[in-house]
Amino acid sequence: MSAGDRAPAAELGLLDATMIGMGAMIGAGIFVLTGLAADIAGPAAILVFMFNGVVTAFTGLSYAELAASIPKSGGGYAFVRETFDDLPSFLMGWMLWFAYMIAGGLYALGFAPNFLELLHVYGLTAAPGEVGAVAVPVVPVSIPASVGLALAAVGLLVTVNAVSTAASGSAETLFTAVKVAILVVFVAFGFLSAGGGGETSFTFQQFDPLFPEGTSAFSILPAMGLTFIAFEGYDLITTVTEEVENPRENIPRAIFYSLGATVVVYALVVVVAIGTLGAEGLAAAGEAGIAEAATSFMPTGLPIIRNGGALIVFGAVFSTLTALNAVVIASSRVAFSMGREGQLLPRIGRIHHRYGTPFLAILLSAVVMLGSVVLPTESAGNVSSLFFLLSFVVVNAAVIKLRRERPDMRRPYEMPYYPIPAVLGIALNLLLTGVLVVYLVRTDPLALALSVGWILAGALAYYALRARGEGSTPERRGASDAEPSGADAPTDTSNAEGGVD
Amino acid sequence: MDGNFRIVIAGGGRVGNRVAHILDDRGHDVTVIEQDPDRAEALSDDYVATVIEGDATRPGVLEQADLERADVVAALTSLTGTNLAVCLLVRELAPDTQTVVRTEREPGEEFDRFVDEVIFPERAGARAAVNAIEPDVSALEDVTGTLDILEVHVAEGAPVAGRSLEEVSLPHGSLVVSDAAGDTLAGPETVLHPGESYLVAVEPSVVDEVLNLFRG
Repeated sequence: MSAGDRAPAAELGLLDATMIGMGAMIGAGIFVLTGLAADIAGPAAILVFMFNGVVTAFTGLSYAELAASIPKSGGGYAFVRETFDDLPSFLMGWMLWFAYMIAGGLYALGFAPNFLELLHVYGLTAAPGEVGAVAVPVVPVSIPASVGLALAAVGLLVTVNAVSTAASGSAETLFTAVKVAILVVFVAFGFLSAGGGGETSFTFQQFDPLFPEGTSAFSILPAMGLTFIAFEGYDLITTVTEEVENPRENIPRAIFYSLGATVVVYALVVVVAIGTLGAEGLAAAGEAGIAEAATSFMPTGLPIIRNGGALIVFGAVFSTLTALNAVVIASSRVAFSMGREGQLLPRIGRIHHRYGTPFLAILLSAVVMLGSVVLPTESAGNVSSLFFLLSFVVVNAAVIKLRRERPDMRRPYEMPYYPIPAVLGIALNLLLTGVLVVYLVRTDPLALALSVGWILAGALAYYALRARGEGSTPERRGASDAEPSGADAPTDTSNAEGGVD
Repeated sequence: MDGNFRIVIAGGGRVGNRVAHILDDRGHDVTVIEQDPDRAEALSDDYVATVIEGDATRPGVLEQADLERADVVAALTSLTGTNLAVCLLVRELAPDTQTVVRTEREPGEEFDRFVDEVIFPERAGARAAVNAIEPDVSALEDVTGTLDILEVHVAEGAPVAGRSLEEVSLPHGSLVVSDAAGDTLAGPETVLHPGESYLVAVEPSVVDEVLNLFRG
C-alpha cells in the first residue's frame, strides 16, 4: 500500500486478506451504482452484478497466478511492469492511476447524498433533493451542498493520508465486517417486509418483466460495463500480498472467497432493493438508492437510532468513506511505484522526509480527485470502469506472456485449464469495453473524451519524460534502448518444449 | 545509480538464499535461479523473490530472468566453475549488466577481466569463527542480533539530502549513529550531506524505508 509501510511482517491471515478484498469490492459500489444499473437494465440489474462476477472470476485467476509467483505488493501495475516493455506498462499504470482517482471522485459523490440522507433521517436537514446550494462564506459563489460535501470528504482523507501512514489491514477487517453486517440487516428486513402490504413491501412482481419494455437481454451489457468498477477489489487484494501469511495458498483463496461472498452479497442486496423500491424507484434515487429503499421499509421509532433506515444510511456513508480512503491510498501507490520505476518523475516515487508518506504522489492524486468531483456521478463511474476493464485485459495478457517467455518460472498457483480462463478474461473484458465505448458515444461523450484525453496526455508524458530522462535516469539502464524482450521469446518457447530440468 | 535494483541471483542455496532475503528487506526486486526443486519451492514459499527453476548455465533458462533489465547478476552457487560460466554468459547476453561471482578459493586477480566483483564468503565465515573462539573482541557483523549497522550513502536529491536530523523524521527503529566524517556522534543538528556516508543502526523491519529516504 503506501510506501510508508514498514517492510511488512506477514501478519494478515486468510480472513484478513479475504476481508480486504470484500471491503474493496463491496465498498461503495453497491450503494452508489445499484441505482445506475437499475436505470439502464431495469430489474435485470440483478443479473448485471452476477454476470460481472463471472467475468471478473477469470481475471481473478490471472491475478492469483501472478500474485503467487511475483512477490511484490504492487497490484496490477507491478505485475505488468514485470512482464511488458516500457510503453505498455507505463500506460497500464497511467490508466490504473486515473481509474483509482476517478473512483475516488465517484465515492465522494456517493458519500454526499447518503450523508445528506443521514442528516435527513435525523431530521437535521430537508430531504436530499430539497437541500439547495450552500452559499460559501468567503468565496462569492454558491456551490451545491453535495459537491461541497464531496470536496470536503476528499480533502479530509487526502490530508490524513498525506501526513501519516495509513491504518493497517486489521482495521480494514473490522470495517468490512461492519459493512457486511449492515447489509445483512438490510437484506433480512427487506425479505421480512414481504407480504406486509405496504407500498414498499418486498414483492417479486417488481421483477416482472425482468427486461423493461423495448429492451432486449443485451441491455444489461452496458450496465455491466459501467458497474464494473465494483470489482477493482482484485487489484487491492494484491497490493497487500507481502503482509499475508503463506501467500501462495492464501492469496488465491482470498481472491476467490472474497469474489464469491461479494457476488452473493450484491445479488441479495439488489434483489431486496428492486423487490421493494422497484427498478424505477431505485433508478430515480440514484446514488442514495439503497439508503432510500432502507428508509422505506425499515422499522421506525427505535431507541437511539430512531429509524431502522438510519442504520443502512450510516452503512452507506461509512462504506463510501472507507472506499474513498482505500482509493486515495491505491491511487497514490500506483503513482509512487511509477515514480520509483522511473516511469514518472522520480520525485513522485519518494517518501517525504518529514511525514514518511509518498507525499507528492498523494498530492497529485488529490488534485485529479478533487477535479473529478465536479463530474456527474455517471461519467465518473463510466471512466473508471472503462479503465479498469482495459487494465484487466492487460493483466490477463500478462499471464499468457509470462507463461510463454518464462516457462521455468515457479508458479506456486497455476490457473486451471490454462490458457482458457486468461483468453476468456481478455475476450469478455474487451467485449464489455466495446459495448461501453459504443454506449458512451451515444450517452456520455464527456466520459469518452476524458478517457481519450487522459491516454493522449499519458503518451505525451511518456515521451516527454523519456526525452528528459535520456542519460540522466539510470534506474532502467538497458530497458529503453536495448532490444525489446520479444527477442528472447523464441528461445524461451523452444525451451518450454524441452521441459524443466 | 539510485532507487531499487533488479538483481538476479544464480543459486538459491545457503548463500544465495540469505542474500535474496537481505536484498528483499532492502526493497530490491530479486529473481533467483535454482535447479533443485526443493530449494526452489522453499524459496517461493518465503515469498522474497521470483524463482526460476532450472540450470542457470543454460542460456534458455538464464534469459528468463530478463537480464537486460537487471542491474546486477550475482552467481552464488557453491561451484566456482558454474558461477564463472554464468557470469561469462551474462557478459555475452547483456553486456551492461554488472556481474558478481562467488569463488570457493581465496581469490586473486585472475577473474578481474571477466567479472565486476569477486566474493569469497568463507572469509566472513572465518571471521565469525574467530569471533566465537575469541569472545572479547568481535567483528561488527557478529555482535548485533538482527539489528543492522549500515554505512549508508546519501544520494544527490534524496529526500533527506541537505537536511538536518531535526527536520527529518526517520522511522522508529532506526538511529543515525555518526556524522559524515565518522568521528562524532550524530545529534539533531547533524546535516545529512549528499555524497557523504553515515553510520546508521536499523531494525530489519524498517531497512527498506530508511534506505528509501537516503537514496531517493
